[in-house]
Parts: sequence; structure tokens; C-alpha cells
Amino acid sequence: MTPKQPPRIATWMLKHFGCGPNNDAVLGDLAEQYLQKDSAIWYWRQAVKAIPVSFFREIRGHKRIAARALLTGWSMWILAGMSIFPLAFFGTNTGYYFERRDPIGSAWSFMWMPVLGQVGLARPFYLIFTAFANALPLIVGAMCGWLVARFHRNQQTAVVLLFAGSILLMDLLLFGPFILNVKPAVAYHFVGPVAANVAASVLGILLGGGLLRYRSKRVSN
Amino acid sequence: MRKGDYLGNFDLMLLLALLRLGEDAYGVTIAQELEEQTGREVVVASVYATLERLQERGLVTSSLGESTPERGGRAKRYFRITTAGIREVRDARRSLMNLWKGLPELKGEKA
Repeated sequence: MTPKQPPRIATWMLKHFGCGPNNDAVLGDLAEQYLQKDSAIWYWRQAVKAIPVSFFREIRGHKRIAARALLTGWSMWILAGMSIFPLAFFGTNTGYYFERRDPIGSAWSFMWMPVLGQVGLARPFYLIFTAFANALPLIVGAMCGWLVARFHRNQQTAVVLLFAGSILLMDLLLFGPFILNVKPAVAYHFVGPVAANVAASVLGILLGGGLLRYRSKRVSN
Repeated sequence: MRKGDYLGNFDLMLLLALLRLGEDAYGVTIAQELEEQTGREVVVASVYATLERLQERGLVTSSLGESTPERGGRAKRYFRITTAGIREVRDARRSLMNLWKGLPELKGEKA
């Protein structure tokens, strides 16, 4: 008889987002204890807590590597964003500009390009453009995630999560105040494209960073 | 003494659990031992995070053990306390005992 299986989604999350060299041992321990406790709630609680615990342990233990990974990812993000987005949206009214004296404003306008590209377009172009505008941050995110993972293989999961988290935070700080401050009727048009853009960026990083790849069960001796 | 040289409460509890368990100290048994002795639920990942840190300080060592079907084919990681770890536990006990001795009575109990 095969042993009772712990909750699959919780196991999947811990397998893919758990950090550090002991993640396999933690998964094994939880599976073993689950047979005794037989409580899905207990298992979920352990799995959900294990992800931040292992993440912060890895980052705190490798601060320089984490800083280097952020630098690598952000450099690539800025380079790719500033070269790919203007090319892709050339000729469209996305309101971007590049001004040396206003680097923050310029960067802000670049980040808005995929979102503004989707807003206010009439169908049937809307659907095509939406797919295209979301594919771009997905591709840029995947490139950056791949690079971050490639150069930091020993701390791959932790640094890719850190980079994805930093992009998510930047997106929230960039788009959040705008959505909250404009009239609801205007915000309504932006919420969808903004959410899709943020989700595409983060998903791209996780995909490129190899965190969503199928991982076979490792049997270590 | 450098920052981080002191043993925290959880560090000390883990080292004592390793001493109590001896050869059979791995994630599950350590967590169970702590839960039995403290009456609180222990996050298994916290046990590993702390043990990893103690291992970097040379207070514990670890080795991979056997994998079993109930663990989904994953190997156990066994931990053992080192001589430096035992010394650290003794020092912590001595310091705590000294501090304890000087205390007046606590709410009707003898300190």
C-alpha cells in the first residue's frame, strides 16, 4: 500500500519556492510527519511558513550574492526595457520620453509603455495588442530571471524570488499611487492592463529563473 | 565577544535536543523533541535554518541518511553536536546559572 500523500499544491509550492540545500530534507520530514499527524492544515501551515523562513535564511546568509543578483537583474531589466520597449511600441502613442535631466521620469515613462499600449485601443486590435504588450514584459522578465539564475546557481531559488519580489515592489510603487489617485472611471481602464503587466513580468522572471520547471523527485544518498 | 556569538534561546534548545537525541537526531525527531518539551508547535524549516547557522559556526555537523518511501524517497539529514557545541552549551548553562543565582524570589517561587 502506498503511503498517504500530503496536499499536492502545498508540496508543489514548497518544492518550487523553498530555498536552500535542506529543502529536500524539509519536504521529506513534512511527508513523514504528515503520516503521523494526518492534518492537511498542519501541513499547509508548515509549508507556507517554510518558504519565507528558508528564503530569509538564504538571503541573510549570502548578502553579497543577493546584492549582486539584484544588480544583475536590474541592469538587464533596464537595458532590455529601454531597448526592447521603444522598438516594440515605435509609432504608438505611449507617451514615453528620454530626458537626461529627468532619469526617474524617463524610466517611469518606459515602464508605462506596455500598459499604455493596451489602454484605449479599439477592438479587434485591442486583443492582439494586449497579447503583444503582455508578451513583452514576460519575455524581458524571462531573460532577466534566466540571467540571475544562471550566475547564482547555488542560491538560484532565493535570488530569483528576491529579484521577482523587487520587481513586484517596484511595480506596486509605480502603478499603485496612480490607480489610487485617479478617478474610479479612469482607474477602471487601467486596472486590467496594469495587473496583466505586473503578472506577466513576475511570471516571466519565475519562468526564466527556472522556478516553475518540472522538478523530478531527487533521491539523495 | 562578537555580535552573533551568543546562543539564542532557540539555538540552545536545539543543541540540548541534539544532546538528548544522540545518533537519532534529524528534522522529525528534533521537532518532536522540542514540541514535547516546550508544548509549542515547531516549524520544521526553522529547525533547519537554525541548524544551518550553527553548522556554519562549527557547533554541529550533519550527514545525509537513508531515504524511505514514507518520506517520498527523500533522504534524512542527521545532525550531531560537536565538541565546540558542547562547550558552548556548558558556557551558556554556567552564565544562566550565575544570573539565576543572584535573583530574588519570583512571584512566590524560589528563583
